[in-house]
Amino acid sequence: MRLQRATAARQGRRGWLRRLEPVFYIAPAFLVLAAILAYPLGYSFWLSFHEWTLRGFRQGVPWVGLDNYVGLFSNVEFVSSLRVTFTFMAGALTLEFLFGMALALLLDHDLKGRGLMRSLILLPMMCTNVVIGLTWRLLFNYNFGLVNYYLVRLGLAPVEWLSKPAMALPSVIIVDVWNTTSFVALLLLAGLQALPEEPFEAARIDGASWWQVFRYLTLPLLRPTILVALLWRIIDTFRIFDVVYLLTAGGPARASETVSIYVYRYGFQTFNLGFASAASYMMILIMLIMAVVLARLIGRSEA
Amino acid sequence: MNRAKAKRTIESAITYASVILAVLLSLFPIVYLLVTSFKPPELTFAVPPVWSFQPTLQNYREVFAGGTFARYFVNSLVVALAATGLALALGTFAAYGFARFRFRGASWMRLGSLVAQMLPPITVVIPLYVLFNAIELTDSRWALIISYLTFTIPLSIWMMSGFFADVPEELEESAMIDGCSRLGALFRISLPLVAPGLAATAILSFMYAWNEFLYAVILTGRNSRTLPVTITSFMTNKAILWGRIAAAGSIVLVPALVFALIAQRYLVRGLSRGAVKG
Repeated sequence: MRLQRATAARQGRRGWLRRLEPVFYIAPAFLVLAAILAYPLGYSFWLSFHEWTLRGFRQGVPWVGLDNYVGLFSNVEFVSSLRVTFTFMAGALTLEFLFGMALALLLDHDLKGRGLMRSLILLPMMCTNVVIGLTWRLLFNYNFGLVNYYLVRLGLAPVEWLSKPAMALPSVIIVDVWNTTSFVALLLLAGLQALPEEPFEAARIDGASWWQVFRYLTLPLLRPTILVALLWRIIDTFRIFDVVYLLTAGGPARASETVSIYVYRYGFQTFNLGFASAASYMMILIMLIMAVVLARLIGRSEA
Repeated sequence: MNRAKAKRTIESAITYASVILAVLLSLFPIVYLLVTSFKPPELTFAVPPVWSFQPTLQNYREVFAGGTFARYFVNSLVVALAATGLALALGTFAAYGFARFRFRGASWMRLGSLVAQMLPPITVVIPLYVLFNAIELTDSRWALIISYLTFTIPLSIWMMSGFFADVPEELEESAMIDGCSRLGALFRISLPLVAPGLAATAILSFMYAWNEFLYAVILTGRNSRTLPVTITSFMTNKAILWGRIAAAGSIVLVPALVFALIAQRYLVRGLSRGAVKG
């Protein structure tokens, strides 16, 4: 009662001011964000319809219409970088969600020292990407890397992890799985621990098997969490740069050149900024499509 | 009866063994890097690998020789602290606004900040590079701080709105009835309650900025270089100086890992909130 009267009085006195109140809190952050992003995004949109090359830009930056965009899809390397990126995404996400789910289910048990083990598993995800890339480059070295040393000790043949085109992308996938499985596992674990207990007790009383419980209870109930984890992993794998750049630099023979590395090469090695900007906008478009589809799925799974 | 008990023992042994294996696999490359950083250079490539040796600080001395590494350490620290501090100030207010007010366009703005966080850095850094060149801001700490705000602000908004949503609104309302302004209620009631969340957000944002590489490698030069870029400078045309890379890498890694261990409980909660609560 007292509360209602107080707020009603306040509303009457300065209703229009109250309506402006959220602006006061929210505007500063968004103004700064817009100020930083608006010009770059606008400028690269403009660039994507122009020809800007290191040799020619002093003579002028001619309008070329959709040439850059059309050129992208007849550019074998761009199409190949998309294929590499999505192959990487599919491989890394499959392994990360399999291992992540297994790890989350294991950690959901009442284990001694669970807190400590959870903290230690978290560490790879907090490592500097540059350091991860270089450490694994040393571990994967054909001659003196530890991975090959232990393979030989086990009686297997050493593998050309980084120097053979067919192995470069799998190597990048291995490093990404090492790096981010814990992120997936910890998100899924948090989701598992937030599930209601009653359906699981009911299933146990009914004598459901472990697999039945997992397949028909855990997985459907965990769907929102899985989709959110999937959204973040798809966004992050789609734009991966650091680890690839340091591990293989996109090579050998562009076998591990992801879209980010491709755009980097056109932007900062051949300085074809118009073309690189068109590729950037294709990246943003693809990212938005994936994000919207997943956001829809997330919204539906929660309703 | 006995068979059931034996089965349970085996199951729990397998559980422990798998989790411990995961822990060992997670730690191995990190431990290997730390160990390598203390190895005398002639043992770096020894096959079979040498695990017991007289530890030496030679790699660390070589990294710090000349004094530039210390300067780049300061660059990293200043840039990460500034990008975190500014984002936290702006993001906390915005998050509070989202958590407490219903207004038209709120969901669009929230979406906008998410999209900003999802933008591939390579798409933003090309025009930023041209812009900073035009206003002569390349090779300055400000260029990096400004670019890092593009991800630290959305991160702060996203994490803090979750933490604010956990503070019951009634606490603030009763304070406001007692004559407190909304701003006063925010500072006296809600902020102290979300302090752990604030710390976790600060740590996460600091680590993203501390670890960042792509913006740094393009926008910095001899004056403003940060540590992740500095490490790659030990890969020269002639040789890759693994000993120094290991030492410099350890110096970058250790603060991040210590922070992560301190705040891990809140980090997981903050990161997963989006997943659990939507």
